[in-house]
Formats: sequence, structure tokens, C-alpha cells
Amino acid sequence: MLIAIQDLHRVYQVGDQEVRALDGVDLNIDKNEYVAIMGPSGSGKSTLMNILGCLDTPSQGSYRLKGLEIGKMSDDELARIRNVEIGFVFQTFNLLPRADALHNVELPLVYAGAKHEERRARAKEVLTTVGLGDRMKHRPNELSGGQRQRVAIARALVNRPSIILADEPTGNLDSRTGEEIMVAFENIWRQGNTVILVTHEPDVAEHARRIVRMKDGRIESDTVNPNPRSPAPASPPAHA
Amino acid sequence: MNLRESVGIALGGIRANKLRSFLTLLGTIIGVASVIAVVSFVEGMNKFVTDKLLNAGANVFVVDKYGFIGSEEAFEAARRRPDVTLDDADDLRLGIRNASMVVGEAEGNTSVHYRDHVLKGVSVHGRGAGYDVVDDIAIGEGRHLTEFDDRRREPVCVIGPEVAEELFANVDPIGHRIRIGVQDFEVVGLTQAKGKLFGITQDRFVTIPVRTFQKFFQERGSFSIAVKSDDESSLPLAEQEARNIMRARRHQRPGQPDLFGITTSETWLELYHKLTGGIFIVTIGVAAISLLVGGIVIMNIMLVSVTERTREIGIRKALGARRHDILAQFLVESTTLSLAGGVIGILLGAGLALGVGAVSPLPAAVSLPAVLLGVIMSTGVGVFFGSYPAVRAARLDPIDALRHE
Ligand SMILES: Nc1ncnc2c1ncn2[C@@H]1O[C@H](COP(=O)(O)OP(=O)(O)OP(=O)(O)O)[C@@H](O)[C@H]1O
Ligand SMILES: [Mg+2]
Repeated sequence: MLIAIQDLHRVYQVGDQEVRALDGVDLNIDKNEYVAIMGPSGSGKSTLMNILGCLDTPSQGSYRLKGLEIGKMSDDELARIRNVEIGFVFQTFNLLPRADALHNVELPLVYAGAKHEERRARAKEVLTTVGLGDRMKHRPNELSGGQRQRVAIARALVNRPSIILADEPTGNLDSRTGEEIMVAFENIWRQGNTVILVTHEPDVAEHARRIVRMKDGRIESDTVNPNPRSPAPASPPAHA
Repeated sequence: MNLRESVGIALGGIRANKLRSFLTLLGTIIGVASVIAVVSFVEGMNKFVTDKLLNAGANVFVVDKYGFIGSEEAFEAARRRPDVTLDDADDLRLGIRNASMVVGEAEGNTSVHYRDHVLKGVSVHGRGAGYDVVDDIAIGEGRHLTEFDDRRREPVCVIGPEVAEELFANVDPIGHRIRIGVQDFEVVGLTQAKGKLFGITQDRFVTIPVRTFQKFFQERGSFSIAVKSDDESSLPLAEQEARNIMRARRHQRPGQPDLFGITTSETWLELYHKLTGGIFIVTIGVAAISLLVGGIVIMNIMLVSVTERTREIGIRKALGARRHDILAQFLVESTTLSLAGGVIGILLGAGLALGVGAVSPLPAAVSLPAVLLGVIMSTGVGVFFGSYPAVRAARLDPIDALRHE
């Protein structure tokens, strides 16, 4: 089992009030699954993603990633797990504004301690696979939203992580561009990666092979998607 | 690791906003510049003093009425001492076994005439034979004054090259008569040029036999006696001998303070060190305050930078940056900033020192240790005052940082 979560709780203390963002979550995810997490606003999706991505740790319960208990790790150990095992894709892209696409994609390799030439070569390779081979020297503000998100996807892939985590990756994109991004995730999954994404949009969730629904910090339903949306062409998307 | 990147960010920031960066770095610049400038001056003077002042009068001490006067009371007390006479000089010459030369001296100031040329304010030295050995004066033309000139109170003189130049222009001065004060003297020698000491020429003088001086310029009054010991090791012995003889001649009881003064080059060196020490302390104060202010400004700028870039820190942490990665990034940034100030300060300070050195007699020497000191100081400021903002950045919670607007 890649991800094993048992009775997971995450409680925020706001003043003298307790907010139970996660309230007893059990979830197992295997290698090379494609999971969509859905649910109403405030149901705890992002909280769960943050814990899955080792940005946050549970208040109670167990999260084991590849058999390692995350709750017991130090900050630096968590940083290392994020670097090696996790690839994040955010709703707001979260690219460094002053760095060009190539440098943004290189960043995880910088913290992995890779050599300069190696970093360069690998980042170029991944940028090319997401269809941005000709945009490497562009800064984020010189790219469209879809292109920015593809830079972010390249950055998530560059260090060959075990899990790709995406919290509303199409949330800031129009539906056409969003669809292109979903094609990219489809390809990533097909290449043997594990993809977990959070979304509000049923159309987006339909791409996944498994759909987890949350409500009030718990898992309401966990189902296999009987007919995933027709896989788009396997080639990289046309330039947006 | 991502050193290049951090340095790049810092330099980019400096370039993007030159005026703000300059103001940010002003404290550091002033602090480093003042230290560099002062160290350069003091080093220049040190070199100068050791080169010229000490070597010229090597192993020489002076016996006179006043000695080294440190206060008005000391001066009042010294005024009541007996005059030092040429007889004292003769006795010292006979008595001090460790001395290679003992010379009686006196000094005045008057105008010198040759035909219709007049030179005002020329130093007139009255000196016993052997002054050339004591002060390391080489003859250029003619001859030095001798014991014979002195005993016979001959009206002869040796002149410095500047006097020769101004009085005689292209004429060979040897054998000509010049008027010193109201008395005619024959020029018998011309010394070689010695150059300047602290911007004061050493070549504008006339030297006459000390007894001639006594006869024409100073019938009464005190003389000084220059004593040159055989070598460095015998200097203290010679000094002790001189003291004993002088005390005996003044019939002094044991325990009574000397009724004369003895001044060695050590005395001057001590004064000099006291002086430069004072300059150093003032500079260190100025530099410390400037660097403190500069450091606080840098700390402030870095805190602003950490706040502005909270989201960037969150992104980096999400991608696997550990605490020390973030810490290092911001430390490199603050250090690059302060080092830039340091480099400007070094250039400014060195420029100041060399510039002033070029237009004034103050010697200046920019040395490698001074430059290193500047580099170390500015690096220290960057590291010290950059630590707090860097630690703050490193401790940010990744999720909070990512949410930061
Ligand atoms: N840092 C925090 N401090 C206090 N409460 C928080 C914090 N983060 C989240 N919460 C609360 O936890 C609950 C779950 O939040 P979460 O962000 O996981 O919801 P979500 O399912 O991602 O919602 P959305 O679809 O709007 O993004 C919410 O009630 C939220 O107010
Ligand atoms: Mg959310």
C-alpha cells in the first residue's frame, strides 16, 4: 500500500473553538491509482491534501506513506519526503514570479542536491513532454494560465515522485484549458504515476478512476468510477 | 547549493533600486570607508615614521634642559633647571664609554643673504663636529664642519640644497660668502638632499659650528647634546652613563629627580603610538556606530523582504527546501548586500586615503590587511544582522506561507 490512513483527525484551534477539519478519515491508496476527491466547500479536502503532501501533520491517527509514519517526522524529514515522494500542483500555480519556466521546474532538483547540468537537462526534458519546449526562458507573467499550470505540472514531475497531488488544478482555468490539463494528468497516470486530485467540478472528477466524496471532515463515499471520461489523445496537448 | 541564485537575487535587488540600496548600505559604507581610510593613514604614517624618523636618528638620544614635557607644571619645573652647556657636552664626550659620538647643538631661525638674494626664516643649526654621523648627513660638495672650525669659532657654514638652490641658482656656492643674520660666513660645504618629513623639508638649513653659534647668536642659554651609542644594545648603557655624569655635574643627591631631560626616539615613538591609538579608538567608535546603524537597516530590509516573499518561501518549502536551505538563502542575501556596501566602502575609503595622500603631505598606504578587515567587517554585519530575518523565514510554516497573499 502506497498510502495508508487510519482514523485521521486534524483539529484547528480558533480562539476557544475547535474546528474539526478532519474527523476520522480512513483511506488506502495504491500505487498507480487515479483518485478524485470531491465534496462541498469546507469539507476538509484541502486539509487532507496537505497532510497527504506532508505539508501538515495529523492531530491524531496514523498516516503511513510507503510504510513510514509521517506524524512522527521532523520538519526536515518532512521536507525531504516532499522533495522526493510528492509532486504538488496548486490551483494558483505557485510559480516563482521572478524565475523563468526552466528555473521553476529545476527547483525540486536544486533541493534534491542534483548537479547543475543534470538539473538543466532533466528540467528541459520534462518541460518538453508537457509541450513547453519553446517557452523555457519565459517568466510566469509571460505565459498563459494553461501554460503556467503545465509548468507547475512539469515541476511536480521533475523529481519523479511517488504521488502527484493536485488541489483544484483547473480551478483558475477556463473549461477548455482545464480539459487540456486533464489530458496531461491522464498521460501522467498512464505512465504509471499515482494521481490524486481535488475538484469541485464533476466533469473534472469524471477523468479519475476512483472518486472519494467528503463531508464534514469524513469520507462519505468511496467508489470506482464505472465509466471514466473518454481518454483524450495520448499526444501532448496543442499549445494554448 | 543555490548560492548563485541567492547572490543573484541580492544583486538583482540592488540593481533594481539603486537609490534605495545605496541608502540601505550607507551605514555599512561609511563604517567600512572610515576604517579603511584611517587604517591606511595610520599605516602610511607608521611606515613613514619607521622609515625616516627612526632610521635617521638611529641609536641617538638627546640630553637637554627640558626633556619631554607633558604638562604646564612640568614645564614650569623644568624652567628652573640649570642650563645645559657645551662643557656638559665635553664631559659627556669624555665620560660615556658606550657612545660613538657626542655633539653639542643649538638652533635658531634667521634670514640669509647672498648679494641681493634674501631667504627668510632659515633654520640655523649650531652643531659640534660629528653631527654628520649623528644625523646621517652626507656631504654633496665641499666638506663638513670640523672640530678645528668649532674650537676656533670659524665663520664657516654648510648649507642644505634648498638654500643653495634658492640663493645661488646655478652658481657653485662653495667658497662664496653669505650673510647669516648680521654676520658673514663662508660656505664650505653643501649637503645631499634628504627630502621631506611629514611634509616639512629637511633641506632648508644652514649649519655652523656650535661655538660660532654661541659666539654670534646665543651667548647665554641652554644647549642640547645629541649622543649616539655604539649600537642598539649599548643605547641603554650609554643613556645610564649620561645620566650619571649629568647628575654628578649637577651635584644631585640620590633620589632627587634629574635636573635635565633625556629624550630618546622611544619617547617620540610612544607619543606617536598614543596619538595613533587615540585616532584608532575614535575610528572604532565611529565605525561601530555606523555598522550598527547599517546592520539594523539591513535587518529591516531583510525583514521586509521575508514578508514580501513569504509565498515564495512556502513554495520552496513545498518543493522540499529544508530549514537550513531557507536560512542559507536569506543569509547569503543579507551578506551579499552588506558585502556590496563593504566593497563600496573599501573603494571609497581607499580613494579618500590615496586622494588626500596625493594632495597633502599625509602619507597613506592601502594595505591588504586593511582591505581584508573591511571585507570581514561587512560580512560580519550581513551575517549578524541577517540572522534574525533568516531564522524567521526558515521557521515559517509551509501552509501558512503558501496561503500568504
Ligand atoms: N489554518 C486553519 N485554521 C483554522 N481553520 C482552518 C484552517 N484551515 C482550514 N480550516 C477549516 O477547516 C475546514 C476544512 O477546510 P479545507 O480548506 O480543508 O476545506 P476544503 O474542503 O478544501 O474547502 P474548499 O472546497 O473551499 O477549498 C474549514 O472549516 C476551514 O475553515
Ligand atoms: Mg480547498
